Amino acid sequence: MNANPALVESATVELDDVSKWFGQKVAVSNLTCSFGPGVTGLLGPNGAGKTTLLRMLTGLIRPSQGSVRVLGVWPRTSPSVYANVGLVPEEAAVYPGLTARDYVRYAATLSGVPDVDEAANRAIDAVDLGPPADRKLAGYSKGMRQRAKVAAALVSDPQILLLDEPLNGTDPVQRLHLINLFQRLGDEGRTVIVSSHILDEVDRMSDRVLAIVDGRLAAAGDVAAIRRAMSDIPYRVRIETDANRVLAARLLEEALVHGVSVDDDALIVETGDLSALGRRVPIVAREVDARITTFQPEDASLESVFRYLVKR
Amino acid sequence: MRAAWAITNTTVRQLLGVRRAVIFGLAELAPAAVFFLLVQTMTEEAAITHVVAMIVGLYFPLLIPIVALIIASSALGDERRDGTLSFLVLRPIPRSVIALTKFTGAVTVAAGLNALGALALGAAYGIQTGSWALLVPLAVGGVIASVVYASLAVPLGFFTNWSVLIGLVFVFIFENAVVSALSGLSSLSPWRIGLSAFSGLVPDDVAAELSDIGIASLTGTGTALVRTVVITAASIGVITLVLRRRDLT
Repeated sequence: MNANPALVESATVELDDVSKWFGQKVAVSNLTCSFGPGVTGLLGPNGAGKTTLLRMLTGLIRPSQGSVRVLGVWPRTSPSVYANVGLVPEEAAVYPGLTARDYVRYAATLSGVPDVDEAANRAIDAVDLGPPADRKLAGYSKGMRQRAKVAAALVSDPQILLLDEPLNGTDPVQRLHLINLFQRLGDEGRTVIVSSHILDEVDRMSDRVLAIVDGRLAAAGDVAAIRRAMSDIPYRVRIETDANRVLAARLLEEALVHGVSVDDDALIVETGDLSALGRRVPIVAREVDARITTFQPEDASLESVFRYLVKR
Repeated sequence: MRAAWAITNTTVRQLLGVRRAVIFGLAELAPAAVFFLLVQTMTEEAAITHVVAMIVGLYFPLLIPIVALIIASSALGDERRDGTLSFLVLRPIPRSVIALTKFTGAVTVAAGLNALGALALGAAYGIQTGSWALLVPLAVGGVIASVVYASLAVPLGFFTNWSVLIGLVFVFIFENAVVSALSGLSSLSPWRIGLSAFSGLVPDDVAAELSDIGIASLTGTGTALVRTVVITAASIGVITLVLRRRDLT
């Protein structure tokens, strides 16, 4: 059993103290982690460094520091490893003049697949693209393009599949189908790395999660562990009254209140129990004769949650 | 081999859509059409003068560079802009093969279109004079100039979205103004390399006409070929190096 949750046994993809910076901007910072068979979710807000990380794993960009090994080699100098790696990039990355079938066949040919037609049909069936596969990609919706890209990545039957926000633009039915597909690929023993900024998506398809914020590893482990890590995050509530300072002073006496800050218009209260605060504040307000006009939990977005995880 | 063919074939399809084929195809016929209109009532001697004027005034210094620069700069530039470069390079194929096949695709389209212009002009001259001696020299010169322009434009298209503009500035400012004034620099002018190849293959009367109008420093077909091979090899080397070394974002 590996003590470090960022590392796995039987790793197929390894990063050792990897950093990447573009000029003054640090995109990935001192990242050490590994990936093995099964679905691993790369979770993080937009701009966290997920795409940069995936690009480094494929060798599209080289780390400024540290080393990346995919199946034991650095892909850029060992292109033969690409026969076992499939990437679904976030950007369009399709040839609009080709039909989806031709696009997938092209991918199969470039990957050295022996029976191109059979492999293309299998990959197209796997993503449930159906008859539109013979239409030009120029006329595809974003969700359909995503599925064509997944088919192109799957056509060489890769051992490692890297998916950058693969559910973007897909409708709920497509989303469910792709999630089931990724889970099945993981169950078959492939290393599937899926990036997303949506916790629910990652929760539904991943056995393991690496949370990344500002290029750093914020948390690692199974989804339940990430959820536990999030559960002790204090909530911030914005309260507006006609007596902000008086109410703030009184609230500081309450045990469930972790802190209060006051500005001209409102007070910001931090608490670990939002519903208890919601019940208590009206009572306290009556005591000090303050009239509440606003009681609003502040941004509880994933980004703020991640930032909290990084600060811990 | 199958992958190399697939990349070349797809590149050709990418670069030569229907609209481009029609526009560039019509443009390639322009020198022949103008020549044909000019020489209807003239002597064979005047025909030589006019065909040489078309060759050194329109075909080599304008048509070839414009077509070759636009086509060739798209070969890698479009892949980079459209994000399809990752689709191409994340394959078990050496980057040198990708460089070579993308270059080959670009040259096939650019040289093919420019060869069409050459053949049209050569044929117009043949119909008018009964001499078909310009057909092959024009095609050879056009192809060679196209290859040299592609050698510049394919890597340039990878580096910048302004490759066509930069290329046209090079053609109009450097080649058509600076080199015209300083003939010692003619070896740096792609269309003059093509013209050199052409001049080494033409009959004496056409060669004399070229000389009369002051086309200097024409080194002949052999030297033009050697220069083309060297420039092409350097270009493919640069593209390979870029695909191997640079971050491909």
